Formats: sequence, structure tokens, C-alpha cells
Amino acid sequence: MTVTDTALAASGLGKRFGRRGAWALRGCAFRLPAGRVCAVVGPNGAGKSTLLALAAGLLAPSEGTVTVLGTDPASARARVGYVAQDKPLYPQLTVAETLRMGADLNPGRWDAETAERIVSAGELDPGARIRTLSGGQRTRVALALALAKQPELLLLDEPMADLDPLARHELMGTLMARAAQYGTTIVMSSHVVAELEDSCDHLLLVGGGRVRLAGEIDDLLDAHTRVSATAPAPEGTGDTGLAPHTVVESRVTGRQLSALVRPSGPLPDGWRTAKPSLEELVLAYLRNPQAAPLTPAEPAEPAGRPADAEALA
Amino acid sequence: MTATVPTTAPRTEPGRAPDATGRTGWGTARAVLRVHRTALVVWGVLVAALAGGLVWLTEVTGPDLRARQEACDWAAQDWCDMNIGMVGYDGPLDLIGLLTAGAFVAVAAFAGGALIGRELDSGTARLAWTQGITPTRWLAAKLAVPALAVTLGLTAEVLVFRWAWSAARPLTYADWWSGHAFTARGPVAVAYALCALAVGALTGLLLRRALPALGVSVAAVLGLALLLARYRASLWPAVTLTSPTDVPSAPEGSWDVESGVLVHGRQAPDLDLGSCDRAGTSSARCLDDLGVTGSYTRFHPESHFWPLQCVETGIVLGVAVLATAAAFLLLRRRTATTGG
Repeated sequence: MTVTDTALAASGLGKRFGRRGAWALRGCAFRLPAGRVCAVVGPNGAGKSTLLALAAGLLAPSEGTVTVLGTDPASARARVGYVAQDKPLYPQLTVAETLRMGADLNPGRWDAETAERIVSAGELDPGARIRTLSGGQRTRVALALALAKQPELLLLDEPMADLDPLARHELMGTLMARAAQYGTTIVMSSHVVAELEDSCDHLLLVGGGRVRLAGEIDDLLDAHTRVSATAPAPEGTGDTGLAPHTVVESRVTGRQLSALVRPSGPLPDGWRTAKPSLEELVLAYLRNPQAAPLTPAEPAEPAGRPADAEALA
Repeated sequence: MTATVPTTAPRTEPGRAPDATGRTGWGTARAVLRVHRTALVVWGVLVAALAGGLVWLTEVTGPDLRARQEACDWAAQDWCDMNIGMVGYDGPLDLIGLLTAGAFVAVAAFAGGALIGRELDSGTARLAWTQGITPTRWLAAKLAVPALAVTLGLTAEVLVFRWAWSAARPLTYADWWSGHAFTARGPVAVAYALCALAVGALTGLLLRRALPALGVSVAAVLGLALLLARYRASLWPAVTLTSPTDVPSAPEGSWDVESGVLVHGRQAPDLDLGSCDRAGTSSARCLDDLGVTGSYTRFHPESHFWPLQCVETGIVLGVAVLATAAAFLLLRRRTATTGG
């Protein structure tokens, strides 16, 4: 039962391009339960696209494993929808032909009604060639292809980047309705955190080719506290009283200490505490690559350890 | 009555499965056709135009020229058949033969560039691979549909060219073994095109860029064709004639491969006999001193056309099979496809 409850899991997952190339992703371990809407967040070049391509079975991992819907990515292919960052479509086909191609290539799974509904909501002419469409319209067609496949897991790489606010709102609504109705697991990457805050309940923060944060957004926010205090020690001694806690980020301005910590016990009474916002949390981790990662679902195996040691060296 | 339930249930399952895969195969083929519609139309028009040209040359231009040549022959003028038809008949016929024999170059360019390279270049391959079919099935359809079109089109073209060439034979100077008169009149023309398709697919997958893949695949198949053309005479054992005196002459219409003298019964094509032509030496004595015992000539009679065609076709198809296998292996490794 636990196998099918996991939509996406990775263990010691790494990918590098070329035999001696740099690692795009390394020591990646996490578990995404089924039915979640997961945001993959990170700066450009962090490895988000590589992670999604590995999950979609478009790339073979250089090391480690990725498990999709309880099996390997190749076997799960028919049940996984994927939209690449640049929304590739055949420019010479019309919108209607593109959808017919989707029907041809997804025998037994194609939901023509869904595809047509998504396309017609954008007031797209079915006879228009793909090459004449704007970026946002192409995104709409690409999403229609992916959704009409009726996937159990939907992997979307920067899906909303080209959309105007209205289309973004409408398509996000379509996605969320789908997730709620069919229990579709949605994984979408973005470097705009605000875009995902309202709709996602799970977070995967990727930075420098590693998973820095993984878990339910609520759990992650609960695990962190923003503190501010009048520094008890003189400037420069370093004894700020933060030592027992995991410090993600700290700043001392004069006698004023402000920090984002993962408390490992009760905090001193005099400190003012606040719950961080998702954006504050993400930015704090991205600004501080040395901060200890928090991936609660990480399987207890040594695969991730040597990689971490290497990064520190 | 209860027995009907277990008997019908297994019967519908296997009955449905082949139907589903059959539909998948046809659906995938239809998707490939849709994407490469323009190329298919261009190919069809090209084949029809070349075949039409051959029919026109043979049926409209040919009879008149033949009549004029016969009239000329009666008049016993040796020079006339040199001029008749060179421009309006031989030239176009030769050109169509060249295009038929060289069609594989266009196929290589298409396969490396538009068929595979551009798909990887623009990312549309990833679109196809994340639909309900496996990357292997995608590649299979990408190869099978053009392979069918190429085989049908070129087979028709080769048959029409064979017919036109045999009708034109008294008028042309192209021998059966020379250049495209050989390649355009047999299965080797189709084999080269299929090989070009496979090599183009492999280079497209290897290089993942349309233009470099186009260039490399064209260069690779041209290299193969030139290499085989160079060693074509060795692909089937030639007939050897020997004579104790002068170089024997091969039968009319044969492909002369090599001739020379025999030294103690051994063929010595490179022996320099120039020294025996010097003044003051007896030619016969000189030859005796060198050990020359006779002359020989090696040639392919016209009956070797089919054996030569078959061997070359086999080699080219072998290369095509290797390239296809490599392309599938590469794709499966890259996309971590384990089954199907």
C-alpha cells in the first residue's frame, strides 16, 4: 500500500551530462505522497528541469533511483503527463491536428473533451497553426495535451511562465480542480514562489543540484521560526544564543539579532518569534547554501551522506 | 450457464489486446504521417515526376530518335549516332538515372535533419516520448513509415528506369556496369536509401542537432557509396580468360576489370614491359627472360549484374541493420527504457 501511496520518490538520485561533466543533480532523496500538489522551487539552473525530466523517463539517472507511481519511470510513462519548459509542439500542425496527434499517441487514455475544453477556453482557433500562436497559447495547447492524457502524475516545468494573469488564474484553477477531482498528483517547478504559495501543499526546494527542503509546506513552516532579539553578547564574539538551534540565516545589525532558525528546543523568553512566510523560508535557504537541509522523508541510507561531505570539502 | 462466465472472460482479453496494439501502431504511424506530410508529398511528386519523365522520353522522344538513327544507319554514316539524342534524350535519361541512384543522399539529409535531428533539437521528441507510447515505439514508427515510402517509391522508380534503359540501349553509351546505370537498375538503389534512413536516424540521435546531423549523415552514406563503388568489381569473382599470346578480349558488353601478362602462370598486372621495347633487344627473348608465359584478362560478363547487385545490396542492408540497432540501443540507454 505504501508503494502506491507514493507518487514520486528518489534515493541517492544524481545526473550529470557527459562522462566528466558537472553534476546537474546529486544525492537527491525525497518522497512525494500521492495526491499532493508539489512545488519544485529553486533558482535558474538549480536542477529543477533535470529532476522533472528524470521523473518523466526522458533521462536516465547517472546514479541512484527515481520511483514513479510505484515503478520505474519507463513503466509509468503512460500514466505520467509532462510539459517541458519550452512547451515544444510541432509548429507545422494546427491546434486540432495537435490534439488528434495526442489522441493517436495515447490510445485508451485520451479524453478529447478535456482537451477541447481547455483549448476553447483560450478562444483558440482549432485551424490555427502552432507556429502562429503566442507563448501563452502554446502553453495552453501543451497543457491540454498533458491533461487529456488523464495522468495520475502531472509534471509541469515552469508551466505558468508565459501566461498572462488571467490565463494563469484560469489554468491553475483547471489544474487544481483536476487534482481535487481525480486525486492527480501535480509537480510543478517555478522560480516564482508567490505563484505557487496558494495552490501547493508540498515543497521541494532545489538548489545547487541538491534537495534543500522537502515536505509538506505547513510542516516546513512550523519547523522554522523567525526570531529577533537584542543581542545578548557584544558584537563580534559570535555568542548569539542561537547555538542549540539549527540556524538557517542570521544577521546582526548593531545589537539587533534577527535570524531564521529551526528550533531544537524552547527559545529564550525575551526573543520575539514569528512564523515565516513561504517566500521568506525559500529565500533564506537560497541565500545560505551552507544551511543544513531539511528533508524529513529522506530514507535513512548512506547515499546522501558522502555527497554532502564532498560538498563541504 | 455458470461455465460461460470463465470462458468468455479470457476470450475477450486476448481479443482486445491485439486490437489495442494494432490501433496503437496505426495511431503512431498516423502521427508520424501528420508531422512529415510535406516531406511525403514532395517525395511522391518527385517520384511521379521522374517516372513521368522516363515515360515521356521513352514513348514520345525515343521512337522518333530511333527512327532517325535507323535511317542514319542505312545511310552508313558513322558519325550520326554520336549526335542523335545526346541533348534531348541521353542527357535527361542520364540525369534521371543519377537522381534515382542518388536519391539516398536526400533520404540521408531528411532522416538526419527533419526526421530525427530537428525533433531532438526543438524538444518535440520529448513531447512524443511523454505521450502514451514508448520512445522505442516512436523510433520504430519514425523509421517504418519513411522506410515504406522510400521502398515503394524507389522500387517503382527503379522498375521504370529499367524499362526505359532497356528501350534506350541502342541510343545510349552507358554500359550496364557504369555508375548509376548499375545502381539505378537494381535493389541496391533501394538498399542505399534504407541505409541512409538508418544512418540519418542514428546521427540525429547521436548529435541531437538538425544541421550537424544532416551534414554528417549525408557525408557518411556518400562515403559508404563511394567506397563500395570503388571495390564493386571485387564483390563477385570475375571471369578470367588467359591466352599464350596477346591479351584475350572479353565478350561484347563485358565489364573489363583488369588485364595483363602472366609470369610463370601468375597474373602480373603491374609488370612493366617497357624495357622490352628498347632497340637492340629481342622482344620475345626479353619476355622469356621475365618469365612471361601469356596474357590474361579479368572481366564481369553482363550475367554478373544480379550477383553483383545482390552482394552490394546485402552489404548496404547489413550496414542499415547495424545503424538501426545502434539507434535503438542509444535511445533506450538514454531514456532508461527497459521494456518494449
